[in-house]
Amino acid sequence: MPRGAAIATSSERTDDERSLIARAVVGDRLAARALYDAHAARVHRLAYRFCGDAELAEDLTQDVFVVVFRELAKFRGESAFSTWLHRVVVTVSLNAMRKVKRLREREADLDEARHHEHQSGDIEPDLRSRLNAALDALPDGLRLALVMHTMEGYSHAEVGHALGIAEGTSKARVFEARARLRTVLAGDLEDM
Amino acid sequence: MHDEHHDDRALDALLTDAARHYRVPPEPALDSIWARVEAQAFPPAAHRRPARAWRMMSAAIAASLVLGVTLGRLSARGSFPVASTPEVAAATGSPAGMRPAAASTGRLDNDPYQRTTEEFLGRTALLLASLPAESRRDGDHAQVAAQAAQLLGTTRLLLDSPAASDPRVRALLLDLELMLAQVARLRAPQRHEELVLINDALTMRDVVPRIRSVAAEISSGDY
Repeated sequence: MPRGAAIATSSERTDDERSLIARAVVGDRLAARALYDAHAARVHRLAYRFCGDAELAEDLTQDVFVVVFRELAKFRGESAFSTWLHRVVVTVSLNAMRKVKRLREREADLDEARHHEHQSGDIEPDLRSRLNAALDALPDGLRLALVMHTMEGYSHAEVGHALGIAEGTSKARVFEARARLRTVLAGDLEDM
Repeated sequence: MHDEHHDDRALDALLTDAARHYRVPPEPALDSIWARVEAQAFPPAAHRRPARAWRMMSAAIAASLVLGVTLGRLSARGSFPVASTPEVAAATGSPAGMRPAAASTGRLDNDPYQRTTEEFLGRTALLLASLPAESRRDGDHAQVAAQAAQLLGTTRLLLDSPAASDPRVRALLLDLELMLAQVARLRAPQRHEELVLINDALTMRDVVPRIRSVAAEISSGDY
């Protein structure tokens, strides 16, 4: 696609989103629904990546959008709407995860783990289980940075904004998370 | 010897796999989630609240504007102890005539104009930003036309007030007067094509960025 066309498309999308935001602020539910449709799937995926619980991820998605529509008038447009939205996702998710103890219990739920470890790939199931356990065992701050940057493709600047940390801190957290994974999975990595 | 590069590559492979398999969510029930969001964020009783708030805000702005204009005219006639001469304004570093009352007393200042202009610009920016989406919508545009008509009245009052003594603000207000007059005409049926033309004009004249620029200066006190 020609560069100019790409820019025009992006600009139109931004204009669309601004007008949707303006309308949603004054209570236009159709505009709010359009914003929801544009972002809900990604919000849900991110929430699930954070908490690993289907029911809780839906609750978090709901809570995120309730907060978003209540606070939308405060959105100044200084950053992209999606950046602001992801910060809300992180804040709501972290608050919920701190409160919900059953998350820790759920992590031992092998049935559900097995459910998502279907399909074969190059990685053998046992190794994948150990990797998942190692990821689950990371502190929230490290895991969120790693998941957002490495698995969801956010830049360090976006991760930093969402987590309320500096861009350099995001890089450091991803580096530290990888170092811990290397330590925990040392034997597996050597065999690969 | 332990090969760190090998470990890094192996870890990259594992993380690439994890992106596809680690906590991959099941298909979310987005419609059902929306129903709950809508019930909480837009409860039935609240549906009409923005409209009421909008009308109340309009009334408040109109009232403060009338008050501001009245105060300004009284000041100009010397009914208040105000030294609104260009010399005083120049001595305080303010643009000529922009802060006559503040320059003299430090109490009876120009805030009503600033507040009103700031609120007016905010509302106008909101309305104009909604026009691209409005132009893609079928049906009448009576709601935006009514809002534009209200704002048009405010524009004309501001043009007659000291708020318009700054040349850049005055130029912006004159442009907005024209734009709002066009949008206000959309109340009549079969005006959809006009809305498309207005949107083109908005883009060509950089109206919304200019509003933001002036509003930011007012907020920061550079006005």
